[in-house]
Amino acid sequence: MKHQPPKRPVAKKPVQNTANRRRDSATGNRSAWLRHHRDCARDSLLRLLRSPVSSALTWLVIAISLTLPTLFYLALSSLQAQTEQWQEGGQITLYLEQGLADEDGNRLTRELDARPEVARAYYISAEDAWESFQTTLSLSQQSLGFSSNPLPASIVVIPSQQNSSQLEALQLIIRGLPEVDDVQLDLAWIDRLNRFLELIYSVVTGLAVLLGVAVLLVVGNTIRLAIESRKDEIRVIKLLGATEAFVRRPFVYLGIWYGLLGGIAAWILVTTVAWWLRSPLTAFLGTYGLEANVAWLGFTDTLVLILASIGVSLAGAHIALQRHLKDAEPR
Amino acid sequence: MIHFDQVSKRYEGGHEALSSVSLHIEKGEMVFLTGHSGAGKSTLLKLITRIEKASSGQLRVNGQILNRLRRSQIPHFRRNLGIVHQDHQLLMDQTVYDNVALPLIIAGEHPKDVTRRVRAALDKVGLLEREKYRPIQLSGGEQQRVGIARAVVKKPAILLADEPTGNLDPGLSRDIMELFSEFNRVGTTVLIASHDLGLIARLNYRVASLQDGKLMSTPFEGRRS
Repeated sequence: MKHQPPKRPVAKKPVQNTANRRRDSATGNRSAWLRHHRDCARDSLLRLLRSPVSSALTWLVIAISLTLPTLFYLALSSLQAQTEQWQEGGQITLYLEQGLADEDGNRLTRELDARPEVARAYYISAEDAWESFQTTLSLSQQSLGFSSNPLPASIVVIPSQQNSSQLEALQLIIRGLPEVDDVQLDLAWIDRLNRFLELIYSVVTGLAVLLGVAVLLVVGNTIRLAIESRKDEIRVIKLLGATEAFVRRPFVYLGIWYGLLGGIAAWILVTTVAWWLRSPLTAFLGTYGLEANVAWLGFTDTLVLILASIGVSLAGAHIALQRHLKDAEPR
Repeated sequence: MIHFDQVSKRYEGGHEALSSVSLHIEKGEMVFLTGHSGAGKSTLLKLITRIEKASSGQLRVNGQILNRLRRSQIPHFRRNLGIVHQDHQLLMDQTVYDNVALPLIIAGEHPKDVTRRVRAALDKVGLLEREKYRPIQLSGGEQQRVGIARAVVKKPAILLADEPTGNLDPGLSRDIMELFSEFNRVGTTVLIASHDLGLIARLNYRVASLQDGKLMSTPFEGRRS
């Protein structure tokens, strides 16, 4: 009899001190409050499971709406992992002045290598360049008709950042070096790729927002119907002294359950689709000599997905309650 | 306990349902409210339960001035009222027990006390053995008794009834009225709206009569318990 309501002890001992009485009543209220939360959570879940077909329709709609942006997000993460593999493609080749000594070339390479915006820099002497050129073409110097080595020495710089503005800044510095004759950049395609990824990100974000609104409306409508079907009950309990929070609570939990079940269903759908696409994608990327790197939803991503689902469903429930609970005032 | 001071109620559109009603019901009194349909009986009860708000005048119920009641205070105010409806307003998808327990659950009573008090209330109206039934399985008179059990389960200071015998035959009506008398005898203030003048006449209580929104007479002080 720990949570005895205050009435009886007060009636028995009318001179009980007030501070004590207030504390009793506060603990009583809190445990009553917790009890009602627990009961509402259970009753709402039972209500939902009692009509499995119609409630399954709702959380499947939630699941599908969440699956699409999540899949895009997965694809983008995979693509980003891929572009990190391609980072070496964004290299800058510096052709040095003809006749520059190898020591000067090596010194310059070391200086560039030490810069923070440079991941790696290496020196290719004029002789090495000429040799590899001949090897590649399987021709001798004479048959090419050159009496001496026509190639300059060069330095290959691999930037540490692929951000296009940082690359341009680095490029400006390099062009200013007196030893450098010409600079060849292989940056345009990286720039394009980055811009493309940015575009895709915006599209996916827009899509996610749009589908989030769809979830909001679907849950809102489902809760509206639930309110509608229990309008008489709401009127009765309001007349019996139910507070606004008490009336709302079962519907709030209904929203939470829809969100949770929808989120779990979305996770299953996403994982299934990712698994299903894994082998064709590997085969496809393999033809480009690329390693497939299909991401899975990790623990954090899964948590975010389910919490987002619950959050959006809760918002939908709140909107429905805000709009439709007013119609259920006692008459 | 219930004090109307020059209370008027005008609905939107100008219809005046109550005009300058002054009615005082003391603690422990039992009063009948009569009048033909449309006379303002329902409006008067709706003002007491704070479903409607008076347009002018002052209404004091259980020590609280209703016009000054904030929205958030209304639920707590209503917990001191027991309300019996003509159509009993029971939840048809729940058992008799759950229906009667509702006011206690809403007030956050401990489950142990809920069981004890629900049983006591059902015992009082003679339906203890029906607690597992659904209201739909009961007769009209039994349903009304479940409604009364729900209204009294919290031992409210005030018991209001709107045509509680409206759908019942005379024998059952007498039983229901006898129940109200019993609650009145233990100190509950009771106000019953009814047009069953024959039945009221046989019971020796004060009668307040409404006609076109005006209080006609409170002719005699009925017996007090």
